[in-house]
Amino acid sequence: MISVNLLLVVCLGYVAVLFVVAFIVDQRARHRPIRWLQSPVIYTLSISVYCTSWTFYGAVGSAARNGLEFITIYLGPTLVFVGWWWLLRKLVRIGRAHRITSIADLISSRYGKSSSLAVLVTLIAVIAITPYIALQLQSVTNSYAVIAGDTDGVTTAFWVAAGMALFTILFGTRNLDANERHHGVVAAIALEAIVKLAALIAVGVFVTFFVADGAADIFEGVSQEAIRGSSDIFGARWVTLTFLSATAVICLPRQFQVTVVENIEERHLATASWLFPLYLFGITIFIMPIALVGLEVMPAGSNPDLYVLTLPLSEQRNELALLAFLGGFSSATSMVIVAAIAASTMVSNHVVMPIALRLLARTNAVSGDVRNLLLTSRRISIALILGLGFLYFYISGGSDALAAIGLIAFVGVAQFLPCLLGGIFWRGATKAGAIAGLLIGSAMWAYTLFLPSFGGHFILTPEVLALGPWGISLLRPQSLMGLSDFDPLVHAVVWSVGLNAIVFIVVSSLTKPDILERLQGTLFVGVYRSTGGAMSNISAGAADAEDMFILAQRILGLEPARRLFDEIAASQGITVGLPHATDAVISRLERELAGSVGAASAHAMVSRIAGRQTVGMTELIDIADETQQVIETSRQLAEKSAELERAAEQLREANLRLRALDAQKDEFLSQVSHELRTPMTSIRSFSEILKDSSVSAEDRARFVAIIYDESLRLTRLLDEILDISRLEAGSAALKLEPMNANTAVHSAVETVAGITLKADVKVTSELSPDDLPVCANADRLRQVLINILSNAVKYNGADVPEILVRTSHDNRTVKIDIIDNGGGVTREEANTVFEKFARGNRSVRSSGAGLGLPISRAIMHAMEGDLTLEFAPDHSSYFRLTLPLLKAA
Amino acid sequence: MPDNRDLQLIRRKVRDRSVALVLVGTVLLMPPIGGLARIDGTIFGIPIPLAYMFGVWATLIIGAFLLSRPLRDTDKPSPSTSVAIDTDE
Repeated sequence: MISVNLLLVVCLGYVAVLFVVAFIVDQRARHRPIRWLQSPVIYTLSISVYCTSWTFYGAVGSAARNGLEFITIYLGPTLVFVGWWWLLRKLVRIGRAHRITSIADLISSRYGKSSSLAVLVTLIAVIAITPYIALQLQSVTNSYAVIAGDTDGVTTAFWVAAGMALFTILFGTRNLDANERHHGVVAAIALEAIVKLAALIAVGVFVTFFVADGAADIFEGVSQEAIRGSSDIFGARWVTLTFLSATAVICLPRQFQVTVVENIEERHLATASWLFPLYLFGITIFIMPIALVGLEVMPAGSNPDLYVLTLPLSEQRNELALLAFLGGFSSATSMVIVAAIAASTMVSNHVVMPIALRLLARTNAVSGDVRNLLLTSRRISIALILGLGFLYFYISGGSDALAAIGLIAFVGVAQFLPCLLGGIFWRGATKAGAIAGLLIGSAMWAYTLFLPSFGGHFILTPEVLALGPWGISLLRPQSLMGLSDFDPLVHAVVWSVGLNAIVFIVVSSLTKPDILERLQGTLFVGVYRSTGGAMSNISAGAADAEDMFILAQRILGLEPARRLFDEIAASQGITVGLPHATDAVISRLERELAGSVGAASAHAMVSRIAGRQTVGMTELIDIADETQQVIETSRQLAEKSAELERAAEQLREANLRLRALDAQKDEFLSQVSHELRTPMTSIRSFSEILKDSSVSAEDRARFVAIIYDESLRLTRLLDEILDISRLEAGSAALKLEPMNANTAVHSAVETVAGITLKADVKVTSELSPDDLPVCANADRLRQVLINILSNAVKYNGADVPEILVRTSHDNRTVKIDIIDNGGGVTREEANTVFEKFARGNRSVRSSGAGLGLPISRAIMHAMEGDLTLEFAPDHSSYFRLTLPLLKAA
Repeated sequence: MPDNRDLQLIRRKVRDRSVALVLVGTVLLMPPIGGLARIDGTIFGIPIPLAYMFGVWATLIIGAFLLSRPLRDTDKPSPSTSVAIDTDE
């Protein structure tokens, strides 16, 4: 047996160590930052305040009763931390950007810096955690009683509470700014985290390998029921517990405090994402063995909640029992300290401060008066909260009803989840929605879980519990609306969190946020987008720099306020005196103050001196910016698609042209082969006849002449084809020289005089009296003229055939018209005469292959002129050659 | 030095893996899948349901450990992200 005196000495010694560590660290950190305190490992260890004495003692008890179920309390946080990138990172980013001081501050700040919301959240948090603190006091008392024998539990609890209050007041309220870490407290918490882990593992190793003979021995003959619980635990309760623990690790005020508020670097989360789950893994790995061995070894009826302590005691291992006691003590005290800091921050910032604000206006300003007031209120709050916890413990008489308190607190703080998640992921969430959800959720929590936990001794009588109020069984607290098939916890979670979420969403979608809510919503949801820090100058009125300085020194104290203003002035380029009270300065001041007194109070105070409440231009621009960005993006998209459409249209057109050209080429080829085939056929057949020697000499001469003519025709045809393809490809560059068009016409008419005379066609020339200087190739121009003239002769079917050749000019062009009275071509035919192998339908089959006109036109094009078919007023057609007039230099 | 597009691809991949890890972990630990491990028998002397739960848990921790470094490093904002539309939300 350990003597009470020894126990007291050890206890007080341990507490003294905590005080000394906190004191030394605090003193040293004042002069310069301590490197190892800024490490992610310390950050992770401080998050382990999640493991309270409820874990240290209660988990073994839970494992003894319900088997594996205890593990759910650690799986939830594991999943949240493994997925840190998606939720915790955003919370931390918001917390740092907006200098958030507590979960109440975050929620109120998000919903338009509403102080009523802050008060509501604070109230729910205090109601939920007071019994939780009582639970810690009880576990310390119980464990003390186990070692020291029957003692006055109330006295023990009182001294524990008083000691913790003293510690927290001494080290937790050194400064006002929640963003400045409580170095001493953090060091003490880290130390306690190591002590409780080491203690539980030591007990676990001892039980597993010394009391029992290894894992195989422990689990041998253990029934399946012992592992999975008497009733099947893998059901709704399993999911609910995991959900609750995941929620608690975010929403519990003390978890929010250590994870978000006291975070100094976002990247520390990355380490915590695996190190914290590993810590939980380590602290729970021996829970099941301890529980099973306890059930086996300890006498029936002993409390499984205390196996961690009673097992070493029953084996006469006093030093181990002492270590276990210290472990339990550490887990209780660290939880109490952090919870008290978190709760007192909320109470002083959100409840005391608004009242103080009213008084402020009336009293004379003294440097640091508000700061002192706040620090005092924070100290009193700590004492009050611990006092409440003690009172709760005293009234409930340390009954077993406390055992379930951990989960009841979890469900209580889970009410924050809908408006917290909605606030940071949903821009449409409104203050009205958040308040309505919180009210209905916490009311349901109180009615279905919290009040029934008193077993009919507080507000709800046993009759109401059993039969419902006024005997209405549909309203029975633990089977509301007749839902009686559920575990009470699942029942309460479904009703409270479920209704909370639904009401929050519905009311949010029905109400309209005011401008400040919209602004904060935009900044919170889009926190990654924000440039950081540019926010919340909501009170850009005409502020006086002197008023601002007075306000700052009342809250921050003289020295810090002077430093802040000097810094701002320096950034404005002012070396002496106060800075200009610009929008940016006002917003900076509000942000600095928010770090001390919370967003709502800071906003109210700055608005008071800055005058009217108007939204600063920068915010409107910020909101507008975002809309603008979306508009800009969609405009760019529309432009891009129009551009693509245009390109596609052009491609389609090009494709059509290519197809047409391709078809033309095919047609040309087939026509060429057809034209070549005709002379070839006659040449071949006549050659065959000649091979026969019976042909007479006369016939032979005739046939040879035909063959000769046909080969000439063939050669001419091939020459023409070559010619046109060269002209069309532009590879046959013509040699151009200045000349008189009249001369060319004259010589051409002379050349065809032979055939015209023979065909009895009268040719008249009406040549322009002026010189017609053009730049052309004389031979080629003559070729064109002769071709057209001979066509006119060849195809003229008139009784008295006549041809008129006329030249004229205007400023730019020289025109040569060749007009015959042969009827010409109709307008329908006009399109086809220039096509290769086309012939006028009035023609009889002749020697021409139909390439004359296309070649002529190609020649004219090559000389930068044209050959066209024109129509006279009487619809008769004639050919016109045009050439650019060569201006006299 | 990988160019910006590569970096963004890596980031997206790592984030996708972290979601996948949480989702797979949740499914494996919750009923009905989590309940499938209620089998009689032991592995290395440890009952199967217990070994299963702690096994999945350990896997999650290892996964988080492997992902923590790339996720931490990808957190540094690059100059181009201010132009790109953030898809985080």
